[in-house]
Amino acid sequence: MDWTAFLDGFGVVTQPTNLLYCLIGVLIGMLIGVLPGLGPAATMAILLPIAYNANDPVSAIIMLAGIYYGAQYGGTITSVLLRIPGEASSVVTVFDGFALAKQGKAGTALGIAAIGSFVGATVSIIGLTLLGPIVAGYALDFGPPEYAALALLGVLLVATVGSGHTVKALAAAAVGLLLATVGSDSFTSANRFTFDTLQLQGGIDFVVVAMGLFGVGEILYNLEERHGKPHVPAAIANIWPSRKDLKQAGPAIGRGSVIGFLLGVLPGGGAVMASLAAYATEKRVAKDPSRFGRGAIEGVAGPESANNAAATSSFIPLLTIGIPANASMAMLYAALLVVGVTPGPQLIDERPDLFWGVINSMYIGNLILLILSIPLVGIFVKILRVRPAILAPITALITILGVYTINNSVFDIFVMIGFGILGYLMKKTGFEPGPLVLAFVLGSLMESSFRRSMLIFDGDPTGFVTRPISGTILAFILLVIALPLVKLALRRRDPDTTPTDKIDQEAGMR
Amino acid sequence: MRNNLSLAAVTAAAALALAACGGVQNTAGSGSDSGEYPSGAVEMPVGASAGGSSDLISREISRGLSDELGGSFPVINREGANGALAAAEVAKAEPDGSTISVQNASLFAITPLAVGADEVTSIDDFEVVQGVSRDDYVLVASEGSGFTSVDDFANADGKITYGTTGVGTGAQLACALTFNAGDTPSEAIPFDGGAPALTALLGDQVDTACLQVGEAIENIESGKIVPLSVFGPERVAFLPDVPTAQEQGLDVEVSQYRFMTVPKGTPQDVKDAIADAMQATFETEAYKTFNTNNNLTPMEIPGDEVVEQLKADTERYADLVAEYGIDLGSAS
Repeated sequence: MDWTAFLDGFGVVTQPTNLLYCLIGVLIGMLIGVLPGLGPAATMAILLPIAYNANDPVSAIIMLAGIYYGAQYGGTITSVLLRIPGEASSVVTVFDGFALAKQGKAGTALGIAAIGSFVGATVSIIGLTLLGPIVAGYALDFGPPEYAALALLGVLLVATVGSGHTVKALAAAAVGLLLATVGSDSFTSANRFTFDTLQLQGGIDFVVVAMGLFGVGEILYNLEERHGKPHVPAAIANIWPSRKDLKQAGPAIGRGSVIGFLLGVLPGGGAVMASLAAYATEKRVAKDPSRFGRGAIEGVAGPESANNAAATSSFIPLLTIGIPANASMAMLYAALLVVGVTPGPQLIDERPDLFWGVINSMYIGNLILLILSIPLVGIFVKILRVRPAILAPITALITILGVYTINNSVFDIFVMIGFGILGYLMKKTGFEPGPLVLAFVLGSLMESSFRRSMLIFDGDPTGFVTRPISGTILAFILLVIALPLVKLALRRRDPDTTPTDKIDQEAGMR
Repeated sequence: MRNNLSLAAVTAAAALALAACGGVQNTAGSGSDSGEYPSGAVEMPVGASAGGSSDLISREISRGLSDELGGSFPVINREGANGALAAAEVAKAEPDGSTISVQNASLFAITPLAVGADEVTSIDDFEVVQGVSRDDYVLVASEGSGFTSVDDFANADGKITYGTTGVGTGAQLACALTFNAGDTPSEAIPFDGGAPALTALLGDQVDTACLQVGEAIENIESGKIVPLSVFGPERVAFLPDVPTAQEQGLDVEVSQYRFMTVPKGTPQDVKDAIADAMQATFETEAYKTFNTNNNLTPMEIPGDEVVEQLKADTERYADLVAEYGIDLGSAS
């Protein structure tokens, strides 16, 4: 590694103009992260002309990158306070984050999420600095068979998320998989469940499903729940996490950061898998897994660290091999083209100032975000004091506007309302929307990777087992399935420990 | 209502941006030199997500139009169905120049080969105002495959896999024709766009792939993938050493090009104003640099010539596909 170029990169970032651009970028990012719908990619598209007008192209790129990782911080806030996940990778934060908020610990959740995000992102930047090109090489070993195995693992992990019945979670996940098939088949362009409408040909957007099931579903449920009852403002016990919270969340943040860094390098689905894997890991290592889904701080710390680490490591494929891992990275790719730089293997040698300038700006940008988050947490938790009669219409308006801005489509608003009714019914009958949403996201990845693999294998499925990485993942899946069965068999033999599932379940309904 | 909402969303975002960074120039500048057009904001739906070449070209033209004509030309991403969604929106819009769109040739000439008859978008529903540019395809091989020219395919044992950027795209057609014209046993592996296909090629998951030149060029230059053929009528300026398919004895010519469309029945003075403003934009240094950076070859011909070529291509592709018995919709 070239240390002079690395240090020169800090020289680039600490120029006052670049610091200012960095600050503006992360601030805009955080704001649009809070608003569901208008995502970082769309915002970057609107602000792309800045790349033409900025005196120094590096400043523009620093700002656009700031929008992307700034949005990752903002997204947590609506997940925790309003139960609206803005993107797939923050769905799992909803379970324990929202539960904590209901217990008056929204400040704790947001504080830990901010710290976790900071640590996760920083660990990932250090990884990017030291190991970027090496990790990029390993990401290329992930072909369609590996993605298929990984997505299968993800769908199984979905069942562990939340506090409800495993069977109910699997049923919801199955519906999610089914919904993922809607749209024009990307292999034969045959129409599946599109009912002859053009609008459904592109499939259903994740955000539409998530905002309907979580956001609108929650509003409808609350309308019924709170009708006639006097309004009691939610208690806000503490604004900032206590020493005990920090101690509890520390190891989860560490594990989440590493998981996020490694999985985030994989383009397409990396960030979702990272947050899901981090959540599942925390639940496995916890002494008392039943706390999860009802306000376990590790359930916020792990996934939030992981999704920020993943967001940062998704820069690796772009900067080292010229492949944009997601829509936001594609916008950054476009911005680099605008300033006359084609991202690819030669970037680090041709434009070390830009390469290291952008990477090092992320150290500073994340520090700014952490500092910004502290006072903002205090302001945002006050949202919970707003009467539901006022908050519900505002939330409804935000979700409708947000859904509209994704594809500028009125049709999507109706789809969202449909999912809102489904979300309400699911909540009434004790189904969690989380497994449905996550399986929906992983479903298309699993299906297309599986079919692609079969084409590559020429119809011979043994390839899944003989390829080292996919074989390992499949073996791990077998282990995950077998372990609870073995435990169950052992428990049957020992009559003293009766299952406490039923009691847990009732507590989970609160 | 829809107009107002999307406008509100765009202006809200723009206001946010402007408030946050006071020094940045607003691109919707002043200085109108065409009397009446545009009288209000002109929507430019684009059938692709933000960041792809269709989107970037639309945004570049939107900037040029607002510099030349004044007013604002917001680009609205209406992704889905290979661009058919955006096309449907333009086709049924008011024919007064308030909705215009840069569209892709592949939607009219290639996608119909892969989808059912009722899903075909016809160029007859639009008027083509002006040609824009050509975006060439290149056939590339992975390092591990050992292929250095299309002649090597004959010596390969077993099926050759080729990654494509999706079903009904020019990349799929170009690759399918190449392998079928050479009678090479092959298997198409469709990916969701160029980036995943390139990733698979770099990781040796597929032997070859057809990509757009801009997507592949950086990795070609650094020697990570090997270019075998381009598919345009002549060599591509950005890859001067790569022969065309026809030079190598294959009757394959496939290219993607884009052009400005307006709804049928749009008044002539509006069409003229748009065409003049676009030609003025094409002359600017900034636009020329944009083309070079994105590896786009100018194809700035009048609208009627575009329609002629499009109709000829549509027929030619259909004939070739029938001749070789290729079914783009069945992924093989």
